Amino acid sequence: MTEKTMTDRRYFAGLDLGSTMTKVIIVNDNEKVLARVESHTGAEHRRLANKVMEEALQQAKIPFDAVTYIVATGYGRINVPFADRQITELTCHARGVASFFPKVRTALDIGGQDAKGLKLDAGGKLVNFVMNDRCAAGTGRFLEVIAKMLGIPLEDLGSLSLKSKNKVNISSTCTIFAQQEVNGRLSEGAPIEDIVAGIHDAIARRAVAILKRLKIEPEIVFTGGVAKNIGVVKAVGENLGREVLVPADPLISGALGAGLLGKEIAAKARAEGKSLPKAERRLAEATFFT
Amino acid sequence: MAQLQTKGLGRAREIYRDRARRARELKKEGRKIFGYLDINPPVEILTAAGIVPFHLLGDMSEPITKADVCLPTVVCPFLRSVMDQGLKGKYDFLDGALFSHTCEVAEKMSHIWRIYLGDSEVYYIDTPHTTHDAAVKQHKYLLEDFIKALAESTGAEITPERLREAVALHNEQRALVRELYDLKKPDPPLISGRETIQVIVALTVLPVTEGNELLREVISEVKQRPEKPPQQPARLLVWGSIMDNTALVEMIESIGANVVMDDNALGSRAYFEDVEASDDPLDGLAYHYLVSIRNPRTFRETVLDKEGRKDYMTDLEARFGHLRDYAREWHANGVILQALRYCDSHAYEVPGIGDYLDHVGLPHIYLELDYNQSALAQLRTRIQAFLELLD
Amino acid sequence: MAEVKKKPINRLKTMYPLRALVDGMYERAQEASREGRPVAWCMVNWWGGDVVLRAMDVACIYPEDYGAVCAAFGAAPAHMARCDADGFPTHMCGYARNTLGYTAIMSELGEIPPDVPMGGMPKPTLLLGSAYFCDTRYKWFQSLGRYLDAPLWVLEMPHPGVKEYQTEGAPEHDIAFLVAELKGFAAFLEKLLKKKMDWDRFAELVDDTIEMNRVWYEVNELRKAVPCPMHSRDFWSSMPASLYMAADPKETARLYRDMYDEVKALVDNRQGAVAEEKYRLAFAELPPWHSLKFFDSLAERGWNFVIESWAYHPPKPIDLSHIKDPVEKIARLTYRYFTGFFADACATQDWWGYFEHPYLEYAREYRCDGIFLHPLLTCRTATNHLMVVQDQAMKRLKVPSIVIEGDIVDLSLFDPADALRKAETFEETMDYYKEMRQKEGLDW
Repeated sequence: MTEKTMTDRRYFAGLDLGSTMTKVIIVNDNEKVLARVESHTGAEHRRLANKVMEEALQQAKIPFDAVTYIVATGYGRINVPFADRQITELTCHARGVASFFPKVRTALDIGGQDAKGLKLDAGGKLVNFVMNDRCAAGTGRFLEVIAKMLGIPLEDLGSLSLKSKNKVNISSTCTIFAQQEVNGRLSEGAPIEDIVAGIHDAIARRAVAILKRLKIEPEIVFTGGVAKNIGVVKAVGENLGREVLVPADPLISGALGAGLLGKEIAAKARAEGKSLPKAERRLAEATFFT
Repeated sequence: MAQLQTKGLGRAREIYRDRARRARELKKEGRKIFGYLDINPPVEILTAAGIVPFHLLGDMSEPITKADVCLPTVVCPFLRSVMDQGLKGKYDFLDGALFSHTCEVAEKMSHIWRIYLGDSEVYYIDTPHTTHDAAVKQHKYLLEDFIKALAESTGAEITPERLREAVALHNEQRALVRELYDLKKPDPPLISGRETIQVIVALTVLPVTEGNELLREVISEVKQRPEKPPQQPARLLVWGSIMDNTALVEMIESIGANVVMDDNALGSRAYFEDVEASDDPLDGLAYHYLVSIRNPRTFRETVLDKEGRKDYMTDLEARFGHLRDYAREWHANGVILQALRYCDSHAYEVPGIGDYLDHVGLPHIYLELDYNQSALAQLRTRIQAFLELLD
Repeated sequence: MAEVKKKPINRLKTMYPLRALVDGMYERAQEASREGRPVAWCMVNWWGGDVVLRAMDVACIYPEDYGAVCAAFGAAPAHMARCDADGFPTHMCGYARNTLGYTAIMSELGEIPPDVPMGGMPKPTLLLGSAYFCDTRYKWFQSLGRYLDAPLWVLEMPHPGVKEYQTEGAPEHDIAFLVAELKGFAAFLEKLLKKKMDWDRFAELVDDTIEMNRVWYEVNELRKAVPCPMHSRDFWSSMPASLYMAADPKETARLYRDMYDEVKALVDNRQGAVAEEKYRLAFAELPPWHSLKFFDSLAERGWNFVIESWAYHPPKPIDLSHIKDPVEKIARLTYRYFTGFFADACATQDWWGYFEHPYLEYAREYRCDGIFLHPLLTCRTATNHLMVVQDQAMKRLKVPSIVIEGDIVDLSLFDPADALRKAETFEETMDYYKEMRQKEGLDW
C-alpha cells in the first residue's frame, strides 16, 4: 500500500469505561466517527471491554488489527488489556468537549457517580480541574435515588421539573438528608413538580460549587449522562447566571476525546520520526483486576 | 527469619519496615530511648543526655481501634494513629517521651499521653508561636527548664560541652541528608522518592552517629550502583503534612513522575537548616527549633513591601520562596500540595501557596489525604490527570 | 385575665441589659469606621489585647462571634461557599470559613456586602490574632492577607502543662513573656496609629477589668447552691459582656453586681432556675447558639444546667494589689485564667489542667449528676477534650456523660428531637450513677 492510502485508512479507538456506562468511539484520520457504542457497564465490565470493542469494530466494518491506536479512559481504564495507553477521563473529556465546541473554556461533566469541572485554555488544552468522587449529592446517583423514591422514571424527571412554578428549596447537602427533606415536603402537600425542581436546583448548586473553584469563563459546556436532563441543564444555567451549552451527544465526549488523543499521539510520533509505542494486544477479557 | 541487611539502602529499608526491632536491639545494648513528636522538639538535648531520640510515627495499615477513648475522629489521623499505637503497647520499649507545641493536637497529646500511658519521664516544651524576640527568649527558658528536669530525673550530665557535641553531630546528619538530596538533582535522580523516605524514616530510630554512618553508606551505594530510578516525564516536589510512609510517593512514582524534592517534617524541612553553633548552645537550639525551621505552625511576621506596606505577594514570597528555589535547583516541573484531613496548620497555607506558585509559573495540585490505603487509591486519577497537564 | 404560661427556665432579669451590651458591638464598630476611627478584628484574647486596644480607642469586633451570628441568621452558607470556591479545604473551622468568604466578598465589592446580619463587620484597620488554644486563631487571620492589607499582630500565650507549671521559676517566665508580648503589641499599635498609649487609662482599664471579672466570678460561685438559681442559658447570654469587652468594664461590672444581687436573693429564697431540679448538668463546650430553646425542653424534664463552657469562664480571683505594673497585672489575670485549675489537677494527678480538668472540679463543686458533651464537626478545639472528660469523669467520679453532636455553622447537624429521645435514657443512667457515687462515699 502507498503511504497515502495508509493515511486514509488510519483508525483510532477511544474507550470510556465509566462506573455506569461504557462508551466506545472509532474515528478515522479525518476525525469522522465511524462507530459509536454505548452499553451498561455492569459488574462484568472488567471482563467485557472486548465485547463492546468488537461491536464497535463491526459498526465501523474494520478488523481489530487495523486500529492504529487505542486509548482507554474512565474509572475502569486499567482493565482494558488491549489499550495502547490509558489517559484520565479529565484529559479525554477536555479533548472531546473542545472538538464539539472549540471555544469552550469551562466544562462540567456529571456522570452516574462523579462530577468534574474542567478548565481549558484557548487552545482547548486542559489546564485545571476539580473532581467530586466522594459524595453522591452532586451526581447522577442523587437523581436516581430521588426518582426511585418518588416512583418516577428517571428520564421523566427533567421535563417534570420544568412544569414547576415555585420550586421548593432543598437545603441539605447530603443525599440521605435530602431524602428526608423530600419526604417532609411531600407530607406537607407540596406539588411534586416543585419538589423535583428543588432537587434539580440542589444538584445544580453542587455542580456550580465545583465549577466556582475554577475561574468560570465562557463558553461553558455541560456533558455526561446528567446533561441529558433538561431540568438540570436549566438549573445549572440559572445558578451560573450564564448560558450553558450541551452537545447533541453528551455521553461520548470522553470516548471521543480518547480517540482523538490517540490520533494526536500517532501524529506526533510520525512527525518526530519515532515509532508509535503500542501495547501487545489481544482482544480478550481482562485476566487481572486492580 | 531473613538476615538483617547490614548496609546501605537495604538496611534502611529493613529498619523502615520495622523500626521497633532496631529500638529493642538498642535497648538490649543498654541504650535509653525517648519518643518525640514532630519537628520542634530539640533532639540534640536527648542525644546530649545519652538518650536515643525515637520519632513517634503512626501505622497507616492499622485501623484505629483504641484511640477513640481519648481523641475524637475529627482530628489529624496521623496523631490518632500515634496515640492508638501507644495504647496498643507498640511503644512499650520507650523510657520516656518528649512533646512540643508543634500543633494544637500535638500539644494536647502531651497531656493525654501522661493520663493514659503514664506520666513518668514525659516532658513537654511549650514552643511559642511567633518569631518575636520575646518568643525566642521564652523558648530558651523552656529548654533550660527541660534540661534541668531531664538531668535531675535521669542523672544525665547535660553540659554545654555535650550539647555542643550533639549539635555538631546532628548538623553533620543534616549535611549528609543534604548531600543525599543533591543526588536527586540529575535526570533521572540517582535515588527515588520512595527510597529517600525509607532512609529518612530509618534515621528516626537510630542514634545520631549510627544514622550518619547509614547515610554515608547510602550515599556511596547510590553513587556507585548501576540501576537508577527510571527517567520519567515529570519531576515533582511534594509539600505538606508529615509523610511517615512511602504509600503516596510510591503511587506517584508508578504513574509517571519522579518525586525529586519535598518539604515536610520528615524531609527537607528537618534537615535543610543547620543549628547555629552558638557559644551558648541553647541560643542556637532555641532559635533553630522556633525560627529557622519553616513549619507553617510558626507565624512569621508579615513581610512588607519596599514602601513598608503589607503586600500579599511580598509576604508569600517570604514564606514560600524556598519552594521556587527548590523547584529550580532540583528541576521540578510541578508541585503536589498534600495535607492530612483535619491538619489545620497546613490547610490554611494551601490557597496562599497556590497563589504563589501561579505567580512563579509552577503547576500544582492539592490532595487531601486520609491516612489510609483505600483513600489513597481514589487519588490516582487526580494525580495522573495532573501529570497529563504537565505534558 | 389570661394566665401566662410559666417559662420552663426562670430567666434572670439582670441578664437582659448584659446581652444588649454585646449587640451594640457591631453598630459601634460601624460608626467608628464611618467616622474614620480605627477598627480591629480580634480573636478572643482573654482581656490583655482588648485592654490595650481599648486604651487606644480602637473599636473591636470579633469574627468568632460574627460566625455564630451568621450561622443563626442563615448567612453562613453563602460565605462558606465563597471560601470553598477560593480553594480553602472544607474541614476548617466554620467561623474561619465564614469570615474568609465574607471578607472575599467584601473586598470584591469594596464595601460591606448588602443584607448581611447586624450590618456586617467593617473593613479593619488591624487584625489581632491569638495563639491561645488553637492554630486556627492565627492562621485564619494570616490567610486574610489574601483580601486585606490590614496589619496583623499575633498575641502569644503560654500553654504550660500541669507539670511544667510546677517547675520553679516557670510561671515567672511565662508572665514575663506575656508582659513582653503585650508591650510589643502596644508598641505596634503606637506605630500604626501614630499616637502614644495613655498608660494611666490603661492602668484604670486593667483594674476595672480585674474587678469586673471578680464580680462575675462571684455570681457563678452562687450557682453551687442547691437548687441552682441560674441556668447556663443566662451564663451564655451574660458572659460575652466580659469575653468580648463589649462595653466599659466599669459599666459591665455594675451590671454583674446587679446580677449578683438578683442571684443572691434567689439563693436565699432557695429558688431554682427550673421548676423542679431533678438533675444537675454540666455542659461542654460550646453551646448550640441557634437552638438554645432546646434547653427549655430539658428544663421541663427537671434538667438544670448549673455550670458550663470552661473556656468562657472568668478566672479564679487572685490578689494583684501588690503588682505595680498594670501590664503585669493583666498578664497575671490571663495566666490565672489558664492555670486556675492546675493546683487541683496536680493534687489529683490529672495532667490536662485546662479544658479537661475543670470539668472534674466542676462536677464535684457544682454537684453534677451528668455532663452534656457537645462535639462539633468543625471545631476541634472545643471537641478535643470531650472524650477524656467523659472517660475521666466516669473513672474518677462516677459521673456519666451524654454525647450529642452538632456544629458551629452547619446547624442541621444538631437534631434536638434525637437529643430529647436520648435524654430519657440518660436520666436512668444518671439515677444509677448517683447510687454508685453514694456507695463510693462521694457526697452528691
